[in-house]
Amino acid sequence: MKIKFNLNKKDVIVDVDPSMRLLDVLRNVLHLTGTKEGCGEGSCGACSVLVDNMPYDSCLTPVINVMNKQVMTIEGIRESKEYETIANSFAKMGGSQCGFCTPGMIIVTYALLMKNPNPSEEEIRLALSGNICRCTGYQAIVNAVKDASKGGKHE
Amino acid sequence: MNSYIPTSLEEALKILFEHDCYILAGGTDLMVQNHRSSGLLPTFKKDVLFTSQIEGLDYIKVINNELHIGANTKYISMIESKFVPTMLKNVFVEIASPSIRNMATLTGNINNASPAADGTVPLILLDARLVLQSKDNKREISVDDYLIGFKKTDRKPNEMVTEIIVPLTDHKYLWRKVGSRKAESISKVTFLGAYKTSNNKISDFRIALGCVSIKPVRSKQVESKYIGLTIDELKNKKDEIVNDYNQLIEPVTDQRSNKEYKRKVAINLLKSFIDSIK
Repeated sequence: MKIKFNLNKKDVIVDVDPSMRLLDVLRNVLHLTGTKEGCGEGSCGACSVLVDNMPYDSCLTPVINVMNKQVMTIEGIRESKEYETIANSFAKMGGSQCGFCTPGMIIVTYALLMKNPNPSEEEIRLALSGNICRCTGYQAIVNAVKDASKGGKHE
Repeated sequence: MNSYIPTSLEEALKILFEHDCYILAGGTDLMVQNHRSSGLLPTFKKDVLFTSQIEGLDYIKVINNELHIGANTKYISMIESKFVPTMLKNVFVEIASPSIRNMATLTGNINNASPAADGTVPLILLDARLVLQSKDNKREISVDDYLIGFKKTDRKPNEMVTEIIVPLTDHKYLWRKVGSRKAESISKVTFLGAYKTSNNKISDFRIALGCVSIKPVRSKQVESKYIGLTIDELKNKKDEIVNDYNQLIEPVTDQRSNKEYKRKVAINLLKSFIDSIK
């Protein structure tokens, strides 16, 4: 079935089974491998993408559910000026270690800061609560999001 | 398996009249339950009807002091809605994770009919009802009657839930979800107690407990014993109330916790609810 959606600000049409996971469409059909597969069951957030500006787990999203919607992956976010601030803050504050969770962490950080430019620590932790990191213990990531919310000019 | 992607309710009901389907909204349960290895299509044992393209089932409105929630409404819309009461929001914000709350529907939570579902606990406490439609029929049923067993509902294959109706009330309440962590946790025990007072007397008293039976436990018969008492009289009957609920709940040991733990926690939450009444 031909399914059209907007991906990273460009319209795309994929000819796939409507039950195919958005994650597999992105990685295997469109060859965008920035979106990672961790648990494959919605528990880790490594596969986070934005659908109409809201974080979705692409591993649980049948591609039909994004028909005619706007999907943003880490490859699309990377073209934004906000990405530079967020990525720099993650680098500066040690928010990325092995890096596997980082695309998902950056996606949810981007979505949070778009909606709420000055989040409290509690709001940051809530926004990141669906994303698992097995390296950092989270504090460094929370610090990175705080830093990014201050335009990277904090400390 | 065939995929059906109706764009109207009428079309969906026609498909369900002809085919026995899984009804998939957000997919956050069905895509996990039918998941295979990375890169492979999910394996559904039946045809699938996807609801995401159906127009007109995503709404929240209030009619005659009752909340009407369209079947395609996501948790995030309810959490952000000015019409949805705080009691429901407090339950919904603890379900799963932010991304799953962006994707998942309460209708799906009801139809998955898990004993550990969080969303059904307040619905049963509030006497919520469901509207089910088929090609030739429309009926209403209480959520309590709709859930008939472990992962079993009263839905006929040609029906779908089109709306959830929740009476709006101003009960005082205590909600507690006990899980192993704040986000992403499937509950070990959930507790929702609600009451109203008038002239220092208990004018309404309701308790619903999740994860301690095949479906949320509520007994109007037990509740009615305590309505009409003064607050002090109710508190003096704490042991009797504990005894009543100890007999109603039947927790089982599973991968999340054992039955002794669940019973202990459920009863402790019940006691602290009684203590909190004022």
